[in-house]
Amino acid sequence: MSSEPIERRVSYLGDRLRGNRCLICGKEYFEIRDYCGNCGRKSYGKMVSTDLFYEKGTLELCTLVNEPTNKFTKLGNYIYGIVSFHDGKIRVPGRLTDRMPKCNDDIDFSSLEGRTVVPRFRRRYSVDKSDVIPTISLTFTFADEYYPHQEYKCTKPKKENDSPGIVGYGVYASRFRIKEGNIERSVPFIDEDSVTAAVEAGKLALIHSGIDSTQIGKIYVGSESNPYAVKPIASKVAQVLKLGEEDEDVQGVDAVDTEFACKAATSMFKDAASLVNYPKSNIKYTMVTGTDNAQAAPRDCPGGELDLFVGYGAASFIFGRSDVIAEIEGCYSCTSDTPDFWRRDGEPYPMHGGRFTGDPAYFKHVRKSSKKLMERLGLKVADVNYFVAHQPNVQFPVRIAKELGFKEEQYLPMLQVAKFGNTYSAASPVGLAAVLDLAKPNERILMASYGSGAGSDAYSLIVTNEILAKRQQQRLTVKYQADNPFIEYVDYTTYRRLKAGM
Amino acid sequence: MENRPAVVGAGRTRFGEHYEKEPEKLIEEAWLKASTEADIERKDLEACYLSDYFLPITNKLGLEEGFLSELTGLHTPMEVTRSFGSALSNACNAIQAGKYKMVLVGGIEKMTDRWDKIRDDLMLLEDPWSYYAGCTPEANHELMLRAYIKKYGLEGEDLQKLYTALAQIAVKNHFHGSKNEYAQYQRKITIEQVLQARREAHKPLGLYDYAPISDGAAILILTNEEIAKKHTDKPVYILSSSSATDYLTYPAREDMTHFLVTQNSMKNALNMAKKNLWDIQLVELYDQSTLMELVSLEDLGFCHPGTAWKSITESCADYKGYYEFDGHQVFVNLSGGLKADGNPLGARGGAEIFEVVKQLRGEACERQAKCDKELKNGCVLELEGFGTKGYVYILGRDLE
Repeated sequence: MSSEPIERRVSYLGDRLRGNRCLICGKEYFEIRDYCGNCGRKSYGKMVSTDLFYEKGTLELCTLVNEPTNKFTKLGNYIYGIVSFHDGKIRVPGRLTDRMPKCNDDIDFSSLEGRTVVPRFRRRYSVDKSDVIPTISLTFTFADEYYPHQEYKCTKPKKENDSPGIVGYGVYASRFRIKEGNIERSVPFIDEDSVTAAVEAGKLALIHSGIDSTQIGKIYVGSESNPYAVKPIASKVAQVLKLGEEDEDVQGVDAVDTEFACKAATSMFKDAASLVNYPKSNIKYTMVTGTDNAQAAPRDCPGGELDLFVGYGAASFIFGRSDVIAEIEGCYSCTSDTPDFWRRDGEPYPMHGGRFTGDPAYFKHVRKSSKKLMERLGLKVADVNYFVAHQPNVQFPVRIAKELGFKEEQYLPMLQVAKFGNTYSAASPVGLAAVLDLAKPNERILMASYGSGAGSDAYSLIVTNEILAKRQQQRLTVKYQADNPFIEYVDYTTYRRLKAGM
Repeated sequence: MENRPAVVGAGRTRFGEHYEKEPEKLIEEAWLKASTEADIERKDLEACYLSDYFLPITNKLGLEEGFLSELTGLHTPMEVTRSFGSALSNACNAIQAGKYKMVLVGGIEKMTDRWDKIRDDLMLLEDPWSYYAGCTPEANHELMLRAYIKKYGLEGEDLQKLYTALAQIAVKNHFHGSKNEYAQYQRKITIEQVLQARREAHKPLGLYDYAPISDGAAILILTNEEIAKKHTDKPVYILSSSSATDYLTYPAREDMTHFLVTQNSMKNALNMAKKNLWDIQLVELYDQSTLMELVSLEDLGFCHPGTAWKSITESCADYKGYYEFDGHQVFVNLSGGLKADGNPLGARGGAEIFEVVKQLRGEACERQAKCDKELKNGCVLELEGFGTKGYVYILGRDLE
């Protein structure tokens, strides 16, 4: 059993790589210090907080670990080493993640040393199923591979908008894929889960938006694969990303998890937008994240059909009223108690209703929300530039798009399921992000999510001029991650192992 | 140093896998040898200093003093520390202060009682962040080797020579171990075996570059210089005892290629003993890995930084039982070192002192150093963790 009070302190420091710098001599420390070893007593009160979360480091030295200690065995082989920051002023231990060195590889360590690395937030090691899941950011990937280093620059908002909307977004899918037929699916590395993806997507959304994370007043995280039955993902995201003003070691932010199968996140878009529009909330920005490491039973077991489609990823949207890149024009949601897909508490894998998940579930609700919203806003199909739908597979979103009268150029840009698999709570948000990655100012996007159980949220969004400037602030676009040369393809056995995690 | 402590009895068990023996059996065995040599009984002891790292974990013994009291039937002051070097340091202080005249210093470890978890336990000796980041007991040795290669710009033929020198250290220590009746491994190995193990591990250091885990005990009987001769004709005096401490976190240290604790302890120990470096003819050092022997030879001052591999290669080309540094014979790890003699953590320092005592008395049988000059002084280096604490003791046959 892990000790929770220790876990609290270790993750508080280690997830964000917090430290101190002496204002007198400039010496830097990883871990909190009340005084500087060089300057002694006179440095009391002159140590400022620092963290390395958005920094890039250099892998100074490394070696192969192929006989890890007991809690690390599930990682397989890995590279362990020492990473320096700030021109060697500060050095920390670290392991490289997102790599699977083969046991018969002779690694030339000098080819890895000296390269730039980026800290990544991951699970630390294996623990018992009943224990708190330990996390850390002393895990690194090379900046010249799948995940580049991006500076987080906060800028003052230039323009207040009339109505609220999206001010920034980020999408995260892992480096690993399984390819079967024409469909590729994102596979988490063994130290990833829905919590780590939510943090990554949120981090990318902050970088894209350029807003100060302390200005975010509420975070919603929608997921159906939280590794905990009780304990929010949102609290971890809030702390790691330092959302809201930090006071002592507490974040001044409201954080909550939501659950409604695949629409757990999209459902909150309107709440997030409303909150920033309500003056007495005193909240300038809100964050909504959909994240899932969708699990499926093995193929020959009941519910195993899902194993052909499940993906991994997260998408995060920041809502506000200044420098908006897409305003919300209107929304409509519908719900019915339709048991097309479910997972009982304590069960590892969900079950589904086979063909019942089609007409009476997905199509009925997506059709209803899309049509109703267009009706309310008086929109015709031609008024909509892009249509985004929930995408559990390729057929469903294409069929509903055609049925509603949309043409290929309107619906193809959102179709990402063949690249990432069904990312559940993140599926329609990833589709929306893919469209926002290429939409022009004044274009209209109609999005209709779907959540089993069942319901659909439809939104109409109008893209603004601001989108062009903000686009420069994000390299990790949906396309960048979909067609990345550093993607590593894994076989079925590896996929099952990685998906099960540590 | 005034009123120097003297070793009048030394005993140890064979190191290795003693699955069938409880810790008390091992202590008794070492005690019997040491007390017979000093011709004393338990009741003659005024205090006991015991060292172990892991008895609370491996044998559920959290209050070792009480365990020792029960075992010896004594109610004298007893203190427990981690390393033998630390226990001996406390004992030396007490003797020098004139507080006691006769004390026991003992070390015990029973690592094989937790063979499947002991590598995790060993991580208690590293900083927690390194552990959280995936460090292993071996990883820092390999990182230091990388740092060493980079700092001294070794490549091509020189780099190969460095790797060969490290293999020669393992071969040499096994050679000495083969003559040590107490050693865990009493067989010789070849350079090819060391290299093959590295190839199998796909790493610069392999199985034969690292010390094993071991069970064992070692005990010394310490008196002051006045009464030493009453107990033995050949007391060995502790001419100086010195220690130093460094940051627990290896990545946070300034110099990643050397151990500050070894450098500082040795400097102070030589000053304290009023000895010259080349007065030291015999060294038992702490070769957790072959690299540690190489680096320690530089840190102790026998070789210039970045050059030990050259001297080792030259000495081992036609190994005569000692290394030659600047024309001086230095006998290193005649016990077989941690590599061949074994490494029961809390007892290891005791075995090092035991070896130097036996050699200085000329009682080391088959492994007795054949020195051109009379063998008078030896030194012992013991480390805790990865260069976090260092203890150096200089021992001599004569008080001057």
